[in-house]
Amino acid sequence: MINFNKVNKTYPGGFLALKQVSFSLESGEMAFLTGHSGAGKSTLLKLISLMEKPSSGSIQVNHTELSDIQYKQVPYVRRGIGMIFQSHNLLKDRTVFDNVALPLIIEGVSHSEIKKRVATALDKVHLSAKLKCYPHMLSGGEQQRVGIARAIVNKPPILLADEPTGNLDPKLSLDIISLFEEFNAAGVTVLIATHDLGLIARMKYRTLTLKEGTMINDGIVDGLQAQGRYDEQYS
Amino acid sequence: MSNIHSSGLKARSSLLARLLTLPIRHFQQAVGSLGNLWRTPFTTVMTIFVLGISLALPATLHLFVKNAEQVSEQWDSASQITLFLKLSTSEKSAQNLIKRISLYNDVAEVRYISAKQALKEFKILSGFGQSLEYLDKNPLPATLLVTPTQRASQAQAANALLAKLSKEREVEQGKLDLEWLTRLEAMARLIEDIVLGVALLLCLSVVLIVGNTIRLAILNERDAIAIMKLVGATDSFIQRPFLYSGIWYGIFGGILSCIAVTLLAWYLGYAISDLSELYQSNFQLQGLSGSEALMLIGFAVVLALVGSYISVSQHIKAIEPNAD
Repeated sequence: MINFNKVNKTYPGGFLALKQVSFSLESGEMAFLTGHSGAGKSTLLKLISLMEKPSSGSIQVNHTELSDIQYKQVPYVRRGIGMIFQSHNLLKDRTVFDNVALPLIIEGVSHSEIKKRVATALDKVHLSAKLKCYPHMLSGGEQQRVGIARAIVNKPPILLADEPTGNLDPKLSLDIISLFEEFNAAGVTVLIATHDLGLIARMKYRTLTLKEGTMINDGIVDGLQAQGRYDEQYS
Repeated sequence: MSNIHSSGLKARSSLLARLLTLPIRHFQQAVGSLGNLWRTPFTTVMTIFVLGISLALPATLHLFVKNAEQVSEQWDSASQITLFLKLSTSEKSAQNLIKRISLYNDVAEVRYISAKQALKEFKILSGFGQSLEYLDKNPLPATLLVTPTQRASQAQAANALLAKLSKEREVEQGKLDLEWLTRLEAMARLIEDIVLGVALLLCLSVVLIVGNTIRLAILNERDAIAIMKLVGATDSFIQRPFLYSGIWYGIFGGILSCIAVTLLAWYLGYAISDLSELYQSNFQLQGLSGSEALMLIGFAVVLALVGSYISVSQHIKAIEPNAD
C-alpha cells in the first residue's frame, strides 16, 4: 500500500531531511510514526501526500510510483489519501457540512449521495448535530473530528494523520485514536505521526521511529521502550 | 464501518453520474461566484465601473465612425463621374452609349442631360439668359452623370472607371473630383486607425483590470485553494469560480458600457439634430442597435474571460498545499 525504498529528501539549501528511508506498510495496517521535532515525520507524510517530491529513491502509494508522477495526476492520487492535520485545515467560511462535502463535490458526486455520505461520516465522528455550524463555533476536538470526517468521506484506502492529537487533552486524544482504530478495522491503512510516546506505548501498534532523517526503529514499542526512547530524544 | 470503507478500496462515482452532475456543478459554481462578487460589493462595483467606462470609450468611437459613414453615404454623389459627349454625338448615339454604360458592373446609375437641357439650366443658373439667345447654335455638349456602385466609389476604383468610360468614342472628356474624394478617404482611414488603436489599448486595459482583480481574489483565497488541492481538487475545478467571476464582470461591465453609450447618444442626439436642421439636413444620430449592444456585451465577456484565464493559469498552479 505504501512502499518507501531508499528515499532521500534534501530541501533547497542543502538540509537533508530524510536519509535512505525504507519501509513498507501493507493494506489494512495501522502504524505510528514518531521522532523528535525535525526528525523528518512531516517530510515523510508530505512525500506520501505529494506535497514534496523525493530527491532520490522510490515511493509507491496505492500501486502508483510517486517519484516521477505528472503534475496533472497529483489530485487523483491525493483523492486516495485522507489527510488529517494538527491545524485541522478547515475552510473557515463554510459550514461543517460544506467542509466535509468538499472531497465529494470535487469528485462530482450527486447531491443526494453527498448528503447521505456526509451524514454517515459525521455520524461516525459524533458530530451530526453540528452540521450547520461554522468551524469557529466548534471546540478544537470538534474541529479535529470535522477534519477526520472530511478525510474519510470519500472512502480513501489510506489515512495519514500529522499530530492529530497535538492540541487535545488525553481523553480527547484517545477518542480520536479509537476513531482511527475503527477505520483501520474496516480495512483502511492508517499512518499517524506523533511525538506522544505515552499514546504510542498504550496502543501497541507498529511504530516507525525517525531520528535526524534516518529510520532508527521499526516495530512495536512497549511502555518502557517508549520511555527510554523519550529520554533519549528529549534529554 | 465496513460499508464506509469497503475493503479499503475507493468507491468512485460512475462516469455517467459524474457527467450528469457536471452541468449542475457548473451552474452552482457560476451562481456561487456571483455570490462571492455580492459579498465584496465595493470592489465589484468599482471594477464593473472601470470596465464599463473602458468599454464605453471604444464603443463611442465606433458610434462616431458609424455615424460618419452615414454622413459620407449622403455625399456619395461626390464620386459621380461627369462625361461630356462630343458635340457631334446624335441623340440616338447618346442613348446607345447610355445602354452600354448601364451594363458596366461598376455603374449604379446613368443620368442623361441633353445639350438643350444643359443650355436651359445654364440660362437659369448663370444669369446670362438674354445674352445666350444671341448664340447661333448651342455650344454646350450633352452630358452623362454616371454614379458608380458603392464598391466602385473609392478613389482608386472610381479613377479606373473614369479611365474606362473616357475611352468610349462618343466621350469628349470625363471628370471626377478625385482630390476631394481622396482627402475624405484618407481622413476616414485615419479616424478608423485612431479608433482601432484606442480600442485596442482600452481592450488591453480591460484584460489587465480583470486579470488583476482575479489575481487579488486568488491571493485572498490562498488558504482555501491550498486546502482544496490537499483534498484532491484539480486546477480546473479551482479555476472555474474565478473564470465565472470574470464572465460576470464582463456581462455587467458590458451592460454598463451599453447604458453609458446609449445615454451619451441620447444626450448628443438633440444637439446634433439642431445643428443638422441649420444645414437643411435630416441627419439623425444613430445609437447602438440591439445586435451591436449584444456584440459589445459578448466582446466584454470574451475580454474579461481572457483576463481571468491569464490570471488563474498563472497563480493557481503556484499555490501548493502545506501541512503546517
